[in-house]
Amino acid sequence: MDQRILEFIGDLRRAEIRISPSEALDALGATAEVGFTDRETFKSTLAATLIKEARDEETFDRIFNLYFLDLEALGEGLKKALGPQDPAVQALLDSLAGEEDLDLDEMTELLLQGQGSEMEMAIRGRSQGAGLERLMYFLQVGHFSRRIYDRFDWSAIERDLEKIMKMLEQRGLDPGQLARIRNYMELRLEAFRRMIRQHVERELERQAWRQGEKLTREVLAEKPLFALTPEEVAQMKSVVARLARKIKDALALRQRQERKGRIDSRRTIRKSLQYGGIPMEVMLRRRHREKPKLITICDVSDSVRNASRFMLQLVWSLQECFSRVRSYAFVSEIAEVTQAFNSLPVERAIEWALKGAPIDYHCRSDFGYAFNRFVRTELDTLDKKTTILVLGDARNNYNDPQAWTLRLIRERVKGVIWLNPEGQWGWGVGDSVMPLYAPSCDFVKECRTIGQLAEVVDNLVHHWWRRGR
Amino acid sequence: MFDSVEDVQQRFRRASYIASRRIATVVFLAARMGRPVLIEGPAGVGKTELAKTLADITSRPLIRLQCYEGLDEGKALYEWKYAKQLLYTQLLRERIGELIADAPSLPDAVAKIAGQDDAFFSHRFLSARPLLMAIEADRPSVLLVDEIDKAEPEFEAFLLEVLSDFQVSVPELGTIKAKHIPLVVLTSNNARELSDGLKRRCLHLFIDFPAPAEELEIIRLKVPEISSQLATAVVHAVEKIRAMDLRKPPSVSESLDWARSLVILNARTLDAALVESTLTMLVKYEKDLERVKGALDKVLAT
Repeated sequence: MDQRILEFIGDLRRAEIRISPSEALDALGATAEVGFTDRETFKSTLAATLIKEARDEETFDRIFNLYFLDLEALGEGLKKALGPQDPAVQALLDSLAGEEDLDLDEMTELLLQGQGSEMEMAIRGRSQGAGLERLMYFLQVGHFSRRIYDRFDWSAIERDLEKIMKMLEQRGLDPGQLARIRNYMELRLEAFRRMIRQHVERELERQAWRQGEKLTREVLAEKPLFALTPEEVAQMKSVVARLARKIKDALALRQRQERKGRIDSRRTIRKSLQYGGIPMEVMLRRRHREKPKLITICDVSDSVRNASRFMLQLVWSLQECFSRVRSYAFVSEIAEVTQAFNSLPVERAIEWALKGAPIDYHCRSDFGYAFNRFVRTELDTLDKKTTILVLGDARNNYNDPQAWTLRLIRERVKGVIWLNPEGQWGWGVGDSVMPLYAPSCDFVKECRTIGQLAEVVDNLVHHWWRRGR
Repeated sequence: MFDSVEDVQQRFRRASYIASRRIATVVFLAARMGRPVLIEGPAGVGKTELAKTLADITSRPLIRLQCYEGLDEGKALYEWKYAKQLLYTQLLRERIGELIADAPSLPDAVAKIAGQDDAFFSHRFLSARPLLMAIEADRPSVLLVDEIDKAEPEFEAFLLEVLSDFQVSVPELGTIKAKHIPLVVLTSNNARELSDGLKRRCLHLFIDFPAPAEELEIIRLKVPEISSQLATAVVHAVEKIRAMDLRKPPSVSESLDWARSLVILNARTLDAALVESTLTMLVKYEKDLERVKGALDKVLAT
């Protein structure tokens, strides 16, 4: 059983659930404490020792069901497959099997009398070494079922069955009764065959799931954002949420570390009054780390919409890491979308920014015009604490790039960071005007995948304003 | 402490706490393996209550450490009573004077006073905070670390240290080792992600809102005066309200409060007017209230 549990843990790990060796040991120790008699208890035990995140429970449930069959339910299934049981026939068979001189093969006895769970165990035993690990496609199910089926000694079983029939005949049963018995045995055989097939199908599901799950996760982190399907966008949301949490946690740690500092004489003296003027407790001046103001300017035209979506989600989930966040969306006309984030949940606000803001979503991107409008209306609100994060592919459709506008913005703020969802090889090719804007930016980063996006935002939160303080 | 999972379940039940198979299993394992339990789940599903009940049925004292932002070792483990130490030195000034009266030089005097260190850095002046209390306790206790997610990650690391060897070193006194390993229960509302180390160390238990049948049982157990008809209606309505997309869905404790208030009002069945007037027991945000009021007919539909 321990072996089975370890295999199970291996599969959980493959599904990207982090399980340390000590946790695996815990699981083995704990299951030994509670035993294996009650499935529900067994399951809770594994969950308590192995699964430490609520979001992993679903995965756990799925793999658990593939690994540890509900034998009771299986027995029920077998009963159904057999149809209404024929108690008279069953009793007859039972009494026959009990007779010494008959000397039946073990398998025959199992087939005639066994419970579902016993049959399943027999199938499992025989399928070891049948090469099930090579099972990959549904078309192979028949082949492997046959293989497992052939591993049973059917000639012995048939011989036994004939023996039984002959014996019954000698005892003077009439043909009608004999047919009934034969029919019953056929049914049981058929049910057994079906069980083998089901076993192989379950195995296939397990293998396929193993491969599939790993693939999607790996692919998601590396997949170019523009190529995501709607389902992938939905999956990605949770990936981004996880990233945001990670960044935030690291930040909390850092802020604590920064509590060291120079002595705050005013507070130290105030505190010393409690102790008759003796400075028993030294109070330190906390260095106030100024949180940056952040302005995001996102291109929301079709080509880069996904990148904008995740950037907005990430930035707004990290709201408390900034003193103020404001967001603008543009295609060619530009509009502030901050108000949506203040009144709606992030998710819905993003939808609104990507579809409902008062700009024309169907025209061609014009960065020059958008920056120009931004300079006219917002330049006075910029200050040296503000960082501007621009997200766009800088494909200007041969409009006037008006690079001076970005230069003007740069002079007013602490820094401009440009995220380009297009690969570096494309910058400056065709209608891309990235090289014209780049000199006004502190840095330009390629941001094709969620991994790259996370890196930039993480840097932004943790390191960016340390410089030049 | 417990014989089996069923035993845990029954004893919790006797203490009016409905423990699901899952909860009972984890508690049983925690007692057997001496591991801390980390309980996560939405507010008001009985996380803290579980620890209290556990203390109750094992007749151990409950020591509670409530976490909050800025909680540090001093407040969790121990502190010297500075003021008392100071007061004593003031009061004993003359005795100290006598002590060093015959010292020929200043270094001698210092050495003499240093010889008396123990008098001032002794248990008398040590104020034990929850963690030290749990470690020093003469009989086994239940240590509840409530809302660990409110404390900083740094504190978590410190707590992990204490929980893994159950010993504390106080520089002036030496190492204090636990006489009895306490049963430790940590709760978290998931305000932030806890560190992997802590999770690895603990048995993990996620308590969600109970299934309707379970909640019915809880209500009938905790509010025995309620008629079965009304209890069913309450569970039904609460379930409907939880299914709405609210800022804060009603928890078990809130549905209990609601059931109690309905009993006080002598209600027999639920009707729109009654629900509307008592809804504040259940739903705590203005916006949520409006939403539920707008959909009352759906909530009451059977």
